[in-house]
Amino acid sequence: MAAAALTNQLNALVNNMFAMGLLDDQFQQLQMLQDSTAPDFVSEVVTLFCDDGERIICELARQLEKPNVDFDRVDSYVHQLKGSSASVGAQKVKNTCIQFREFCQQRSRDGCLKTLDLVRTEFYDLRSKFQAMLQIMNRKAESTEKKKNCDAEAEGAS
Amino acid sequence: MGAEAVRVLVVDDSPVDRRVVELLLRAAHCGGGGGGAAPFHVTAVDSGKKAMELLGQRRSNRLSTSSPPASADVSEQAIDIVLTDYCMPEMTGYDLLKAIKALGSPNPIPVVVMSSENEPQRISRCLTAGAEDFILKPLKINDVQRLRKCSGVKPKTAVMNSSSFEVSHYFQFIFKFILLTYALMCLSQLFHRWSNGSFLSLWCA
Repeated sequence: MAAAALTNQLNALVNNMFAMGLLDDQFQQLQMLQDSTAPDFVSEVVTLFCDDGERIICELARQLEKPNVDFDRVDSYVHQLKGSSASVGAQKVKNTCIQFREFCQQRSRDGCLKTLDLVRTEFYDLRSKFQAMLQIMNRKAESTEKKKNCDAEAEGAS
Repeated sequence: MGAEAVRVLVVDDSPVDRRVVELLLRAAHCGGGGGGAAPFHVTAVDSGKKAMELLGQRRSNRLSTSSPPASADVSEQAIDIVLTDYCMPEMTGYDLLKAIKALGSPNPIPVVVMSSENEPQRISRCLTAGAEDFILKPLKINDVQRLRKCSGVKPKTAVMNSSSFEVSHYFQFIFKFILLTYALMCLSQLFHRWSNGSFLSLWCA
């Protein structure tokens, strides 16, 4: 697919994510910093967030399964997830983490479990969209590279 | 001429935040912070303990060698500024700040604390303990300029401009002094001739 079409596809996906409240202006800041000197800025950060988020959610589930829940420890993990969500602009996940922390303060296991389900759903939804975004970005990079090579060959031939 | 690099030690237990800050600082120089602005050389660690170990290492390297290493490896040189997260396990950013200030160095390393919590007590506690600044996370491109100011590293162009200004100021002074001396000599000549009664002959000559 041509680079222009892929760019349109990418823009449509990202705009949709903004419209649904999944992303906020922090993500725009990261996009602005991506240029020729840092071409993989966004993909690197997004990949790190997806891996780290998965790890934290698994750890939260493990902590909340214990008979005696250490709410301070749970709160610490939620704080981490909230922080990394804020850093990449994952607005919905960040806001749910804020709710989650309130249940931690209240020492409410049921509240924490319900919010964990919500965070998990939102995180996986965001992750699938991020993965789609990264696929389009990779295809666009490949397409641009191919075009460059073709242009270089054509110049050499002429 | 390029500016001297600002060597930042980033301390954050979150791998995402560490990477975002690192990339943001590097991109800020390349993207829009050019025109003589100092680039950032970033070293990132995931705990206050590792930060203290690194600072101790760099300090002893500097004390044991009388001159900078011939290869001028930036990664082995001193740190200009520490940028630390507040909430970290075992050793918080506040503990790290106090530990750095307690080193008792004649030129203490500036420390900037960052946190996602906008708590006035936390902010004032850190500033009272000697933090140069307190930045709210997530870090934005505008915060990079604040960091640069706190580091106190002057761009080389500014240093060059101030020295060339001093030189031209010196020459101006010398020139004025010569003019004044010549004027005084002429005046003394005139006075001497007038006192000898040869004032009219002066005008006729």
